[in-house]
Amino acid sequence: MATMMVDGTVPDFDYYSGLSTTTTTTTTTTTTTTTTSSSDDDHDHGCTWNDWSPVVDWEAFSGGDNFQDLIESMIEGNNSSGGLNISIPKSSTFYNSEDSVLMEEPEESNNNQSEDVNGLKLVHLLMAAAEALTGVNKSRELARVILVRLKELASPNGSTNMERLAAHFTDALQALLDGAASGSLHAKSMFSPNYKDEQQQGDVLAAFQLLQDMSPFVKFGHFTANQAILEAVAHDRRVHIVDYDIMEGIQWASLMQALLSRKDGPPTPHLRITALSRSGSGRRSFGTVQETGRRLTAFAASIGQPFSFHHCRLDSDETFKPPALKLVRGEAIIINCMLHLPHFTYRASDSVASFLSGSKTLNPRLVTLVEEEVRPIEEEEGFVGRFMDTLHHYSALYDSLEAGFPLQSRARALVERVFLGPRIIGSLARTYRTRGEDERSSWGEWLSVVGYHESNISFANHCQAKLLLGLFNDGYRVEEIGTNKLVLGWKSRRLLSASIWTSPDSDL
Amino acid sequence: MFHAKKPSTMNSHDRPMCVQGDSGLVLTTDPKPRLRWTVELHERFVDAVTQLGGPDKATPKTIMRVMGVKGLTLYHLKSHLQKFRLGKQPHKEFNDHSVKDGDRATSLELQRNSASSSGMIGRNMNEMQMEVQRRLHEQLEVQRHLQLRIEAQGKYMQTILEKACQTLGGEENMALPARTFKGLGNQGGGIIPDISAAFKEFGAPPLSFSSFQDLNICGGHEQQLELHPQSSMGERSSSFESFLVTDHNLSLGKKRPSPYSNGGNTNGKSPLMWSDDFRLQELGGATTNLISRPNQDDIIQMAPLSMERSCNPELDSVSDIYESKPMLDEKKFDAKLERPSPRRAPQLSSLSAQGGRNSVFG
Repeated sequence: MATMMVDGTVPDFDYYSGLSTTTTTTTTTTTTTTTTSSSDDDHDHGCTWNDWSPVVDWEAFSGGDNFQDLIESMIEGNNSSGGLNISIPKSSTFYNSEDSVLMEEPEESNNNQSEDVNGLKLVHLLMAAAEALTGVNKSRELARVILVRLKELASPNGSTNMERLAAHFTDALQALLDGAASGSLHAKSMFSPNYKDEQQQGDVLAAFQLLQDMSPFVKFGHFTANQAILEAVAHDRRVHIVDYDIMEGIQWASLMQALLSRKDGPPTPHLRITALSRSGSGRRSFGTVQETGRRLTAFAASIGQPFSFHHCRLDSDETFKPPALKLVRGEAIIINCMLHLPHFTYRASDSVASFLSGSKTLNPRLVTLVEEEVRPIEEEEGFVGRFMDTLHHYSALYDSLEAGFPLQSRARALVERVFLGPRIIGSLARTYRTRGEDERSSWGEWLSVVGYHESNISFANHCQAKLLLGLFNDGYRVEEIGTNKLVLGWKSRRLLSASIWTSPDSDL
Repeated sequence: MFHAKKPSTMNSHDRPMCVQGDSGLVLTTDPKPRLRWTVELHERFVDAVTQLGGPDKATPKTIMRVMGVKGLTLYHLKSHLQKFRLGKQPHKEFNDHSVKDGDRATSLELQRNSASSSGMIGRNMNEMQMEVQRRLHEQLEVQRHLQLRIEAQGKYMQTILEKACQTLGGEENMALPARTFKGLGNQGGGIIPDISAAFKEFGAPPLSFSSFQDLNICGGHEQQLELHPQSSMGERSSSFESFLVTDHNLSLGKKRPSPYSNGGNTNGKSPLMWSDDFRLQELGGATTNLISRPNQDDIIQMAPLSMERSCNPELDSVSDIYESKPMLDEKKFDAKLERPSPRRAPQLSSLSAQGGRNSVFG
């Protein structure tokens, strides 16, 4: 089967093409996952290759050489050789010299096939660009050229998922290229949350509404966390939630409703929320943290939930200082950490780390964590490996939206433009910046290391997640991993995980 | 009721006299007082176990503490817990099994499977049946809560949108949707080109149908293709309902070959919503109807989202989604709130296109 050589590593296309449509079961007994295919792989991160390239002749990519010819002809867009005079290092052996297989766009074939071929072309170009940017034989020039070609081929309003996806990835790579060239890759400022503020407020709200209706991600994260919180505070009269990134506050609407209607234990507890805010991070499209506070207060009043809201501003270095919080005796403290919902921006990992470790001193009853689920990448795979994984991740995301709303491509394009595109850029920027460093694969692991204990996902919680997914397209899956984590995935690709933890001293 | 095959704390074969102690426990009056695990007691037991993190994490001691029932001894709990643990596994597996191939679980199958797969042939059928009942009950509870929670999110979202609408200016925006919506029924001027196109694409029924038929197209076209051409309002409205069923893309693009979505909506059950995990609900023939169908009037008022039309022309066809699945949580569930339907009553829906609220999820 096909093997591709990149810097001596073997991103194994076997891996991808060999995966059949996998997991049909969604959950497990108590502990392990039930991904039924490639059981030797601990993360069954298949992707959508199978779904849109069934007709590709993988044999064509075996062995071979002549990377240069291929790239040139890709860039030229035709079968003629020559043209651009680029000295391309021969270290990478990508494709067979039978690039005609790739380049030929047979008119007689159906749309599907040429679409697939186009999609593949884009993927290969992206990979080549990533490689050129960071590989052993870096070449900015080559990268630049490839990106130019990509921009010709892919537009953010393209008709296929792959095209739009490629457009955003191209932008991301371009930004990296520019940043690297100028020597000052302050990714933090370049890809700051403010990027989204320039978008119209109307756009962001519309996209947010659409995102919620078209996909289960937001609700999954919120409801899973909320259910765990409810169970943890079943007998408490006062609840204090410290929310790392409250955004528009919608998570708490359903928690309030649930608190109001709880039957066992003391009557509706008093809910207190402390929201952290960062200086200069205004999510202006959802309003400031204070606005969110006002909204929540009004909402709570309208439904009769005893409520108070506090706002804790973090310093510019975003270290979390627990003493800055106002605490009340006898309250159950919950730490809520939503990190990677689709409409969120990436936060600096120092900030998150400071928050999670600092909160340990508060001895929280429960810590809820929602983060994206990514495949751990081997060191050798480097940036390109992570790049490709990110590509798969977002490809699955795009597919999931399309599957549910095949006709509403403009609506989807809006969500992609407003939320997913900037996330792609942010994700790659982080990856680029931290390449070579020790990669932290997940915050969940980090919580374990720091000393938090896993808490159990209840049957009701798992049941709720499954029910929720039942409202959406049936490509979504929920898996229970370990005892404390639910993972939402699309087909065989895991996307978002929700996990719950307790501090060792708190009683549960 | 099945008779116990061997003596156990269930004690059903003795038919002894039972007294209820002042602690609320039901004890038998034979010389060796045995505890009768009533449904309520068992429910409490299971709640406690769940709270403690599952049968594997819970211990008789902790269960006793949590349950707080006087007269309940460790001995009672030990044996009951053991039975519970053994009985839980097969049930859980069964519940979680994907039913994409359209398996239907009858209670008998369930018990047979559990019995054989766990090797507990001699198992007390009574307990298992109770377990199944309990599971069902819990699932229904979760379902109900989920619905309420989604509503709450919707209401909150409404406050955000309203606020934004205000700041972005004005009443005319809100009025706009009403007009365009009605325009749908008249195929007014191709306001929603995507919908019209889809409409035509699938061999549109005559325009004399209600405007809601149009709505059906975008989401329901797959269903329509499978359905035979139907003229009865009842059937149409049921596919409309199943389409409306949630605020999510349930029907839109759902290509799942459910055994129910073949025009057999006449029993009023929405096949698409909740159906996967709730085949078990058909135990005992309960057709839990999970559709909440608001008044037609409610639908006219569109989400304030349509303000986007004037705010940003680019978003014209964004409203596609909302035209085709009118109103998100708010209206639908508000209507439901105003007129609470009987819950959990197995009920066939009344399929009249006008009025007639169907009972929601059990």
